[in-house]
Amino acid sequence: MTTTLTETPRTSVAVAASMRGGAKTYGDGDAAVRALDGVDVDIAIAEFTAIMGPSGSGKSTLLHTLAGLDRLTAGDSWIGETRITGLSEDKITQVRRDKIGFVFQAFNLIPSLTARENITLPLDIAGRDIDPDWFGEVIAILGLADRLSHLPAELSGGQQQRVAVARALVARPELIFADEPSGNLDSRSGGELLGFMRRAVEEFGQTIAMVTHDPTAASYADRVLFLADGRIVDEMREPTAERVLDRMKQMGH
Amino acid sequence: MFRLAARSVQHNPKRLLLTAFAVALGVGLIAATHIFTDSLDRGFTRLFGEIYDGVDVIVEPVTSDGDVGDPTSGDSVGKDLDDAVVQTARSTAGVELAMGSTEAVGALIGTDGETLAGGSGFGPPTLFFNWTGVEDFDSATIVDGRAPEGDDEIVVDVGTAEAHGLTVGDQVVAGGADGTYPSTVVGTASWGDGNNTQGATLVWASLDRVRELRGGGDGWSVVHVRVDDGADAEAVAVAIDDRLPDGVRALTGAAKAEEQAASLGEALKAVDVFTLAFAFVALFVGAYIIANTFRIIVTQRTREFGLMRAVGVKGQQVRTMVLAEALLIGLVASVLGILLGYALAGGIIGLLKALGPGESFAVPIIPLDAVAWGFAVGIVVTVASALLPAIHASRISPMEAMRDAATQNRRGLRMRNIVGGALALAGAGLTTVGLYAGLERPYVYVGAGAVLLVLGVTLLAAQLLVPLAYGMRDLLARVWRVDGRLAANNIHREPRRSANTAAALMIGVMLLALTATVTQTVKSVAADAIGGQFTADLMVVSTTVPGSADDAVVADLASVPDVRTVTRSASLDARVDGVLVPVTVLDTATAEEAIAYETEPAFAEIDGGVFVSPSAIEAGAEVGDTVTLVGEDGEVTLEVTGEYPTSGDGDYFVDFAQAERLGTTIDVWQYSIVAAPGADVDHVRADLEDLVATDYPLLTVQSPDDMLALANQLIDLMLAVITALLSGALVIAMLGVANTLLLSVTERTREIGLLRAVGARRRSVRRMIRIESVVMSVFGAVLGIVLGVALGVALIRALEEFGFETVTIPWVLLGVYTVLAILAGIVAAWWPARKAAKLDVLEAIAFDG
Repeated sequence: MTTTLTETPRTSVAVAASMRGGAKTYGDGDAAVRALDGVDVDIAIAEFTAIMGPSGSGKSTLLHTLAGLDRLTAGDSWIGETRITGLSEDKITQVRRDKIGFVFQAFNLIPSLTARENITLPLDIAGRDIDPDWFGEVIAILGLADRLSHLPAELSGGQQQRVAVARALVARPELIFADEPSGNLDSRSGGELLGFMRRAVEEFGQTIAMVTHDPTAASYADRVLFLADGRIVDEMREPTAERVLDRMKQMGH
Repeated sequence: MFRLAARSVQHNPKRLLLTAFAVALGVGLIAATHIFTDSLDRGFTRLFGEIYDGVDVIVEPVTSDGDVGDPTSGDSVGKDLDDAVVQTARSTAGVELAMGSTEAVGALIGTDGETLAGGSGFGPPTLFFNWTGVEDFDSATIVDGRAPEGDDEIVVDVGTAEAHGLTVGDQVVAGGADGTYPSTVVGTASWGDGNNTQGATLVWASLDRVRELRGGGDGWSVVHVRVDDGADAEAVAVAIDDRLPDGVRALTGAAKAEEQAASLGEALKAVDVFTLAFAFVALFVGAYIIANTFRIIVTQRTREFGLMRAVGVKGQQVRTMVLAEALLIGLVASVLGILLGYALAGGIIGLLKALGPGESFAVPIIPLDAVAWGFAVGIVVTVASALLPAIHASRISPMEAMRDAATQNRRGLRMRNIVGGALALAGAGLTTVGLYAGLERPYVYVGAGAVLLVLGVTLLAAQLLVPLAYGMRDLLARVWRVDGRLAANNIHREPRRSANTAAALMIGVMLLALTATVTQTVKSVAADAIGGQFTADLMVVSTTVPGSADDAVVADLASVPDVRTVTRSASLDARVDGVLVPVTVLDTATAEEAIAYETEPAFAEIDGGVFVSPSAIEAGAEVGDTVTLVGEDGEVTLEVTGEYPTSGDGDYFVDFAQAERLGTTIDVWQYSIVAAPGADVDHVRADLEDLVATDYPLLTVQSPDDMLALANQLIDLMLAVITALLSGALVIAMLGVANTLLLSVTERTREIGLLRAVGARRRSVRRMIRIESVVMSVFGAVLGIVLGVALGVALIRALEEFGFETVTIPWVLLGVYTVLAILAGIVAAWWPARKAAKLDVLEAIAFDG
């Protein structure tokens, strides 16, 4: 766990994902934008990590590169023990499929598949069997039992996001990445969703890394990382909404 | 509005690219047809001009109908002219020179018995002319040697001499319908300007020899006239014509050339109509794709149109804008199409020229009618196809701008089903009426019915697809897991779109299946007829000029050892109640030994009367009635003594004794041979072949199997030509599948991105698109096969009186079409699948749909 910019050796303690010297540049020459500028980060297992920062701070880029959706320009990143920088597209896809779950801000579900089919989609793609007990447990916690045969269009926004969380959980990934999962929800549904995610961490020991710009959302996390100009500038343990908001204000947000 | 439309096309040209190409392909076929026939037309017009170049006036026989026969072959249907006609021409004021000329169709044979040119078979004719010595009339100049003088001397055209290595002094054999004549090549000649004979073999011989080759007589085929210096050819032609008896006419060489060109033009127009029909099929298929594309684009732009409506654009203006886009596409596609057509026609003509038979073509240009048709059809089809989507666009409410783009417009299929069902029923009804009601011009009803049926089935297909796609979902999901299930879902999600896409393919495959069913049935009917009916061991047939009805030929054939019976089948035209009808002439006493006719009673009991076919019965002839047949030079009134069971083999059937009383030339097409019991047929055949090779070079010996093989070859050729012509429509249908998939990939960008994010590999995305494509293609093909076979069966049933009693379903070909549909699906999915797999995951997720 570090906030310094110096090279830190990867620890062999329980780490779900990590990055060393991560840099990401878009464009060339004068027009070049450094979205990530030498990031060292470890996402600890069974923790809920929130990544915060103002617009353009690089938080989404950090999430995407950590998850292998995007490639670093320099530096390395790992999912568990697997170094994904340098892997082929197909191999990265396989790592994503087997070890990572995703919850996006919107458009999380395939419109033509029912809620149940959407939830089991990653397992179906991987050709893995579904553990019915686990499936039942996840569904029960997320309160989706009577919505399974519905198409996404027939679900509310909150329900859709819960289906997305269920999909992420059911495959028992080592790590779930969430990108503003409550961003499109009203505060009550958003709070509910984040509560479920919190429970998943506490009850199942699920690892979650979440990008958000909402201090309230960040307050559900165990740890908050603050990003500015492509660097990690601070971190906070056991955050509250007020503390996070204060910290953000200091950063000029 | 037009500027907005242009901007919209400019902004996203890719989604309209395939549509424009589909239209261009259809327009290209139309333009190519026009350019091709125009080139042929001009080529032949030039040729006819050359033929009659030096002849001021020509005197020729005509039938009472004014018919002068087929301009592209050497024979005319009228009777020969006698010397009096030549005298008449010669004695008319203003005539400087008038000479009779005779021509015959024959064969040129090497001394080893090998036919060099002409004889039996197809291809350009071998024509014999008498050498007049007047250069203008012969249209030929001696290149080597000299003109023919004796009866056993001939001159051949330089092209033929070169092709067969003939030089002055070589021995050859000239063959006609009645016999063969050893001859010496005494010279070679160049015909017209540069011996441009279009592949025909030209031989000049003495007048007597040509008359012998022609089958005897002392008449002339034609009289050539040269007018005095300064005389008006036209006036002289009129003057001669006034003095000629009935059945003979005079006209200027220029007028004759024009007449032949016009007559060929008519024939080419038939070619035009035939190929244009296929071009229209291609465009009909294209129309589906255009409609589908515009429908999808309108859906994708719902928000944009909603916004326009919100800021005050009228619905009507939105409609105009969509139609203006269509107009623009139509214009561009038509220009492309016409150029494509020019390239296509030019390529084919170039290929033909390179392979040999292309001499007849003039340098291809783009004629005005190709341009006019191209633009008219291209624009009309595009705009008309975009009409419904444009109306749909104009009805988009301003509220759509506010709504979530993901909300789908879920109109029910009920209206579509009702309209589809009604159209399908009306189409089936019209087709039935056309096929069975015996109305005039039944093809109009059948054609219109088929179009309605296709439209109806297309509309119904949307409903059919829902359960089908769902039925296949489990199967696809079992085989390809998620990829299969998603593919099935995608088809099912937009039933209209999938149905229209499949329908485009359906039309092409339907026509293929229809053609295959009909041709396979014709094949098996031919096999039954030849295998079952022909009890003859061998047939001696004539394929170029009709064989002689002379008893001497029969006697010669019968003199071959082990030949028991020779029986002739012949035909002539006669009039009944003033109407020209086909009459079949048979050796009725022996006919049934060779062919198992199903007449009532047997032909042997014709008793000097006449048998009638169903079409003659329809015209009013009944057993016991009398029928008067009027020939060229006589008439007979005969009692109807029996019935022939099928139409198409001639309306009336008589024996040779009665036929000869009509004074019309009897054309013998077949001498059926029955061998003696226990005889070795191969031996008989070899002997017959030796006989015809030396004495009757225009005849060939065939076994029933040979005939069947030849018939099958012709049927297969027809199937191949139609398949080739339909391939344009099929390519367009494939473009349609590709286009639909491409647009739906764009629509599903986020979905595909999501799939990739949660772990679907590129390969898997590609496979999903491919499965979708193949399922749609197979669905279209299967629907097409079902419809095509059904229409084919209906058509065959309607032709029952022509002997089509059983239907043969071409299972093998249908299987091939299905496999090809699968391949087409895979090919069509190539680009869309590639595009889908190449989508960047991040961009896809961020895609603002």
